[in-house]
Amino acid sequence: MPMDEKTKTLQEDFEKNFADLELVIGWETGFDRLHATPVFIRQPSELGKLVWNPLCSQNLSGYLAKNLDASIQEDGKKIGICVKGCDSRSLVALIQENFIDRKRLYIVGIPCEGTVDLRRLMRLNPSLKNVRKVDIEGNKAVVETDQETLRFPIEDVLARKCLRCLYPNPVIYDTIIGTPVKPRISEDKAYTAVEKLDSSDRKQRLAFWKTEFDRCIRCYACRNACPLCVCQDNCIAESRKPKWLTQRDGIREKFLFHMIHGLHLAGRCTECGECERVCPVEIPTMLIKEKMNQIVKDMLDYEAGIDPEAKPPLLTFDPGETGI
Amino acid sequence: MRGKTFIAHDELPEVLERLSKAMDVWIPTAINDEKYEIQFLPYQSDRLPVLDRQSTMPPKKVIFPQVETLLHFSRKKDENNPFKSHIKLEDEEEVSPVLVFGARPCDVRGFLVFDEVYLNGPYKDPYYAKRRKKTLFATLVCETSDNACFCSAVGSGPADQTGSDLWIIPVDGGYVIEALTERGENLMPEMGKDATEAQVAEARDVQEKVAGLRVGEADLTQNSDAFEDRFSDNEYWRDMAFKCISCGICTYVCPTCYCFNITDEAKDLDGERIRSWDSCMFNHFTREASGHNPRPSKLERYRNRIGHKFSYFPKKYKGMIACCGCGRCIRRCPVALDIRNVVLSLKKNKENVDVCK
Repeated sequence: MPMDEKTKTLQEDFEKNFADLELVIGWETGFDRLHATPVFIRQPSELGKLVWNPLCSQNLSGYLAKNLDASIQEDGKKIGICVKGCDSRSLVALIQENFIDRKRLYIVGIPCEGTVDLRRLMRLNPSLKNVRKVDIEGNKAVVETDQETLRFPIEDVLARKCLRCLYPNPVIYDTIIGTPVKPRISEDKAYTAVEKLDSSDRKQRLAFWKTEFDRCIRCYACRNACPLCVCQDNCIAESRKPKWLTQRDGIREKFLFHMIHGLHLAGRCTECGECERVCPVEIPTMLIKEKMNQIVKDMLDYEAGIDPEAKPPLLTFDPGETGI
Repeated sequence: MRGKTFIAHDELPEVLERLSKAMDVWIPTAINDEKYEIQFLPYQSDRLPVLDRQSTMPPKKVIFPQVETLLHFSRKKDENNPFKSHIKLEDEEEVSPVLVFGARPCDVRGFLVFDEVYLNGPYKDPYYAKRRKKTLFATLVCETSDNACFCSAVGSGPADQTGSDLWIIPVDGGYVIEALTERGENLMPEMGKDATEAQVAEARDVQEKVAGLRVGEADLTQNSDAFEDRFSDNEYWRDMAFKCISCGICTYVCPTCYCFNITDEAKDLDGERIRSWDSCMFNHFTREASGHNPRPSKLERYRNRIGHKFSYFPKKYKGMIACCGCGRCIRRCPVALDIRNVVLSLKKNKENVDVCK
């Protein structure tokens, strides 16, 4: 289904169901047509703002856990939310951890052919201007500007997380827009980036991460954009009591923060890639979480955010555990 | 006084190499070959300046480092009285002269905002002052605005020379350099060879063309009273800040954000008192010693960010807006929150406010 048609179907579906909803969370066009931005709609007359396209990268599920009352309301009104495949996994994880009540949600799932990494796009075409529309057609990202139509191979412009995505189709939803899409890779290719890094020796790996983390500006966007980083009120990065980290900007501080961030997401990270997308200094932070997930998969045969009924391994204790 | 000079593209590394023998030279440069983002780093022979687009991080840290040691302290136990110890404080740190090569007018304007607070008020910040005094700016006339840029809307513009010492104008094959201050003039002997008449004429055309551009449609300078009128409109601020994820990007990429925190970082008997960038978007910003925070949620914190830049600051400092219109906060925001929309909507009546951009 073409993108414009999906947008229309999306709007119509919410219009039909708006009587049961108090709020719709989706995306709209941002400050220009190359940027999408979250939108929170409380009036049906505003549903026309909603869009769906490969620029809708924000994972909106975090708002449910951090900014809204996601428990059942007396009037039975629900929150409508748009999710891609990866976003839907975050929803499942939040439901598993009791941050959200499933009955509180009206989930509109969108099978996703991938989101565009704006940095990769701009790198290929630094003078790109006056963009009107971005879409994906097969193996090409199509960028329409006021002057011309450009086509880029998707492997050059999609976000890294999209190129290795195994769950492009929402795993939980009330309505689905369009038809399911096929993953772009097979399961055995999911961790090739991690494996590549693992193939270097320990010293090289340390040097790699030191160089990457050295740029970190401690803005904590990776943490705040993460739908599952839910203890920001007293994060180790800033807490003075207990004091885990100084406020210095040395590699020790940055390293520890990122490692703890990764560790707290072991078996929880749904690989939505928001941490990596938002980083203003391009640190590939998701690699750490991918490594954790690879270990959890190998040892415990568990993938985060797939089955709302499943018990995440780190939320349970099994004295007879054989995986470890 | 030397006239305008010309540096060819392939001569630029040589010029920077020579300059860097006498001073620290900071340039906007790519993180590495595989990355897109640009940051300001000290020049090295293997680092080339990238001047075709705005840097992600402004050169703010050159004068206002993200972390700065204010003083070292060490305690020594009194040999005769175990309940007593002597404290030794050391706070002398020399700074080198610095040239920032390839900043943009918006980057430099950030420091004009800093100056009002750290230099021109009743209290002078000695740490800021010593670096500021020794820093020169060779600034690039800015031909590359995008949809997030709005320097003309806050009283500046892409050809604004205020605060710069040298002026860089891209022309065919290289750059024409012009001195704007006496300190800049002193560096002119290092700035390539004399420009030809044709190059000077071309540079003049570029300068005139850029000076005629208006970057950013609206005027964001007259919103002080509108902000005050809107101050108690909690619904407005709730809606405006709703999508904010409370990270520190907008404040850290901002050339004008100057808030800091001071902490003592000690181990055993020795340590340092450091000053580090703070961010008004963080939930512990303005948390008081009691644990109470007068700005408990992002509603109050976001309101303060807007008020500080567009109302409190201009009221206190001769109408100057504490925003240089570089657009970094919009471009880098994980959720593309647009500060222009928030400021422009201050004057709109409720029905016309577009809360969602």
